[in-house]
Amino acid sequence: MSITVDLTYDLAKALGFRRFEIEAPATLQDVLRLTRARFEGEDAAFEKLTRVTGFVVNGVLISHARGMDTPLKDKDRVSFLKAAAGG
Amino acid sequence: MIKGYAGRVLEVDLATRSFTFKPLDEDIARLYLGGKGYGTRLLYDMTEPGIDPLGPENPLIFATGPLNGSLAPQSNRFAVVCKSPLTGGIGSAACGGSFAYGLKKAGIDILVFRNQSSTPLRLEINGDQDTVDFLDASELWGKGTNATQKALGKGRNHAVIGPAGENLVLYAGIVSDERIAGRTGVGAVMGSKRLKAISVTGTRKLEMEDENKFKDYTKWLRQHFRDHPVLGEKLRRYGTMGIVNTTHARNMIPTHNFKFGHHDDAMNVSGEYLEDHGLVGVKSSCIHCPVACGRDVTLEGVGRIKGPEYETAALLGTNLDIPDLKWVNEWNHLADDLGMDSISLGATLGFAMELKERGMLQSCLTFGESSGVSDMIRDIAHRRGLGSDLADGVKRMSEKYGGKTFAMHVKGLELSAYDPRGSFAQGVEYATTNRGGCHVQGASMYFESTGPLTINPQNLKLKAEIPVVQQNLACAINSMVLCIFTTYGLMPKAVHQMNPNGLLHRTITLLFENSGPFYRLISGLKIMPLLWFEKWLTYITGEKFTSGRLQEIGERIFNLERMYNLREGLTGKDDTLPDRILHESTFPHLQSGHPLDQLLPRYYQIRGWDEYGVPLPRTLARLQVRL
Repeated sequence: MSITVDLTYDLAKALGFRRFEIEAPATLQDVLRLTRARFEGEDAAFEKLTRVTGFVVNGVLISHARGMDTPLKDKDRVSFLKAAAGG
Repeated sequence: MIKGYAGRVLEVDLATRSFTFKPLDEDIARLYLGGKGYGTRLLYDMTEPGIDPLGPENPLIFATGPLNGSLAPQSNRFAVVCKSPLTGGIGSAACGGSFAYGLKKAGIDILVFRNQSSTPLRLEINGDQDTVDFLDASELWGKGTNATQKALGKGRNHAVIGPAGENLVLYAGIVSDERIAGRTGVGAVMGSKRLKAISVTGTRKLEMEDENKFKDYTKWLRQHFRDHPVLGEKLRRYGTMGIVNTTHARNMIPTHNFKFGHHDDAMNVSGEYLEDHGLVGVKSSCIHCPVACGRDVTLEGVGRIKGPEYETAALLGTNLDIPDLKWVNEWNHLADDLGMDSISLGATLGFAMELKERGMLQSCLTFGESSGVSDMIRDIAHRRGLGSDLADGVKRMSEKYGGKTFAMHVKGLELSAYDPRGSFAQGVEYATTNRGGCHVQGASMYFESTGPLTINPQNLKLKAEIPVVQQNLACAINSMVLCIFTTYGLMPKAVHQMNPNGLLHRTITLLFENSGPFYRLISGLKIMPLLWFEKWLTYITGEKFTSGRLQEIGERIFNLERMYNLREGLTGKDDTLPDRILHESTFPHLQSGHPLDQLLPRYYQIRGWDEYGVPLPRTLARLQVRL
């Protein structure tokens, strides 16, 4: 099973890449843990980058699904998300 | 005269080259404020049903409101109203820049152009001397909006058209400084009158009822906007393109003519990318705006130019499968200089590319390929070859070449860059908005998909209520005339600091989602001014404004627009969405697209309309909408 993860821009800059693949994560907690493992900075810095960040699975905000326990399946696309406004 | 208004309407007859200053109608001002509302009332009263939008009978109305000229943040916008050549219904567009400020300084609330000139004209209006000079514009005819404004010089405020307006491109716009009244083809109407440019000057001061209170409150609010996570941080830092991350993640960024809602390289046209690659020159703003959402970019061979907005980046970027800022910048610059709406332009190019892909059109346009696009944009503006067909927009293209199922428009107006399959309330708003498929007539998606506190966007709860409240509010805002971005300040900072995955966030959104009639009741309360809109209006005009009164004014304007559309032949059957949006799913968990048929009856019911979408007599009577 492989999941594609899209990062917010600030997080992507800190990590040095914008998108990566994760093999066999079961839930979003796994995605967050595996993302943290790729981050070389302190916990506090990672927490700051992800604190007010939502998660979207295949376009659906997880708070409208099963939260951080939302199950993942092969070829899902997970995105880190921050609120914005445009026009 | 009510404070906040200059008290004058300037009517100009372009055929006889004569003009008249008339007093502003205070009754209309009380019922419709100004801007879009006042303009719609005038249009309804001045015209017979069925006029040719590009004929002499169609007036072109520039309208300011009581907040223009006040120095309130985000208040230097004017509305343009006429019959739309693109939709055949109400035509309206709003524009920033400095022209609204200039009109007010000239002591003019409303500027009405009647009839047509036989030769290219430009006007110079001096509000201090009460003069209007009709000047030959032959030498300016054919010039772009940048060269035209440069030739007109500084020290006055201008509104101009480019070649697209001159050549009656049905989505041509009117430009002031670097901003454009882009939607519904108002620039084509100006072109049909052979009116190349308007310049205004004046030194009049706006009278307010309580200037001290207004200034104190505005000072506080200006700081609130500066400190606000969206207005002061995100929009100020990234511009409107900062939303690409969100629409891309939520499967809502138009891609491949709205076939998909996600593009792997969407972030290449984001505000963050713009910042990170040193493309930003300076941040720019309409005058007196603390947000400064505009930004300049550097274009090779041209120099520093205005950068694209989100809509442009999406519709000329991902929608064409060309998410490349180099090209988006160039095409945005071309669209502005030629004077046309980049939303309609991008959607029309995307439609033509899909026609080509399906073998229904011979053209140089191909998804993912930039070659030929710049030339096609020029051909559209000058109506050369195939460009002349694209100049008529998606609806007419689909009538000529086929492809109605993937023609992305509502009522003839091309869809904005928020795919409503990921935002059901936004879909209802697109379907029912009187000027057609546009996002700034309510911006419902902010409450369900893009803002900090979003309800589930893909169930039926609140999806008919939100558009009603938001459309009413937007009508009022476009009549003050303010920028719709002021509404983004409604969500307090604390909400932006909440964890979107946390229990509190989830609880609040669930409560909001299930608030139904209570939400409408709160929005309509006529007890006191709740928001800055009402406070500003109260301090400026001296009349008591409440949230409920503002909702009522907006509802009145919306219903009058509706009656205008019905009079011109647009009916409930036109309250729909493109087949692609209704029937093709872009989400793995959904079998179909947008459930409009389940939401429209409730929307009509809330509006006080019958099952065919016609306002009931009692609704019109309650709102004092005179026919």
